[in-house]
Amino acid sequence: MMEQWLESTPSWSNIALFFGLGALLLAVVLAFVTYGILAERKVMGFMQGRIGPNQVGGRFGLLQTVADVLKLLLKEDTIPKAADRPLYVLAPIIAFVPSFMVLAVLPFTDAFRFADIGVGLLYYIAVSGLTTVGVVAGGWASNNKYALLGGMRAAAQMISYEIPLVMSALGVVLLAGSMNLVDIVAAQKDVWFIFAQPLAFLIFLIAAVAELNRTPFDLPEAESELVAGFHVEYSGFRWAFFMLAEYVYLFAMAALVTILFLGGWHPVAFLGWIPGAVWFALKFCAVVFVLIWFRATFPRVRADQLMEFAWKVLLPLSLVNIVLTAVVKAWFF
Amino acid sequence: MSGTDIAFFLLALAAIAGGVTMLQLTNVVHMVIALVMTFLGIAGLYVLLSAEFVAVVQVLIYSGAITIIMLFAIMLTRHHTDERERQTTGGVWHKAVAALSVIAFGLAVYFGIRQLDFGADGSALAGDNARAIGKSLYSYYTIPFEIVSVILLVALIGAIVLAKKDGKGAEDE
Repeated sequence: MMEQWLESTPSWSNIALFFGLGALLLAVVLAFVTYGILAERKVMGFMQGRIGPNQVGGRFGLLQTVADVLKLLLKEDTIPKAADRPLYVLAPIIAFVPSFMVLAVLPFTDAFRFADIGVGLLYYIAVSGLTTVGVVAGGWASNNKYALLGGMRAAAQMISYEIPLVMSALGVVLLAGSMNLVDIVAAQKDVWFIFAQPLAFLIFLIAAVAELNRTPFDLPEAESELVAGFHVEYSGFRWAFFMLAEYVYLFAMAALVTILFLGGWHPVAFLGWIPGAVWFALKFCAVVFVLIWFRATFPRVRADQLMEFAWKVLLPLSLVNIVLTAVVKAWFF
Repeated sequence: MSGTDIAFFLLALAAIAGGVTMLQLTNVVHMVIALVMTFLGIAGLYVLLSAEFVAVVQVLIYSGAITIIMLFAIMLTRHHTDERERQTTGGVWHKAVAALSVIAFGLAVYFGIRQLDFGADGSALAGDNARAIGKSLYSYYTIPFEIVSVILLVALIGAIVLAKKDGKGAEDE
């Protein structure tokens, strides 16, 4: 359905249609961010023997995030005197715009997808790398040593973990024979790539957690040593922009793991009568839950361990995976 | 004027504006951010030429990795942040010659590319860019490709050797 619209001749009604669809996706993402944060706090609360938010919006704290966001928007917007003003203002925007740009290539179901480009996977990795520029610029512009340290750590970490992330996804690309995310999902009609590429899945998941700056790899914002990391000087809606970018990336990365390894919208065996959107949502929620689980149960690694793990463990393993995949593909397919 | 032309002018404007801003700014970190704008504008131009693979790699390598490395290097080294008054050097003749040569270069490039024929339109490759590049790279240009990888390896080893020496020297002092 959407494919026809994408290929139809441009007109004003077309623009209105795509504006509406984009707004729909925006609503879905914002709803996810709202309830993803609540789910994170609730799940972490239960895992730590607490209850979590239970005051605002009924027993389950359903309006807690809404109240938090309202509070952030009403907060005073502070800009430190010694900060580099133009860059300080620009940094949250640079960090946040790419997070929405990557959503364009993610195919959610057979019908609901936007850009269908041949280099979709590479596009995601490339555009998400732009956020690092914003993070580093924000850390530097704050003129604060903790912020600068956080920004530097973010840069080092994101560059280091981008390499195993891409290398592990290469195994999937080899098997699917395409970098187009729609083709990758189509290639998993019979066997999901989590079974064909278990090693790649593990490496990708670990590198994804590191790219998302989440525990156990949350060194850029390690509150016990850096106060808050790169956004220590930010407050109010500028801080909210950094957080929004982080949670939109959580959405995008969980969707990407679902697409690359869990078969996207493909159903399990005989349960094909359940629509693809439901399957996608279920798998997506499972990935998000695993990411929250990681956050609640793993201790933070040290900076030197972090770097050694990326370069000495993940990178060689992903190279081995590529060679193995190539051999298997050449001999058995 | 078609939509492609409008997109071309906007992207070209972004690329040129980024470059001019970079030359005008005094702060090195600001310059790098302006440079990102130029890189992104150029990537957009590649998309217009239906070379999406090149565009994405441009964003990945230049706007992402190289920019970060540059920012890293700038932040780790000491630099003067005081905004000194910018002083131009050289006399009137100096500037006149510089301006003339810039104009001459512009004219030379203009006349050079005006009649240039790039052969067939590349839009047939759109959508399957990566496959086409890979096929021709590994069928017709294997040896240059291998030589490039060897050169990169040499650069990598050279960097390690240089860094190692530096560390030892610092320890001796």
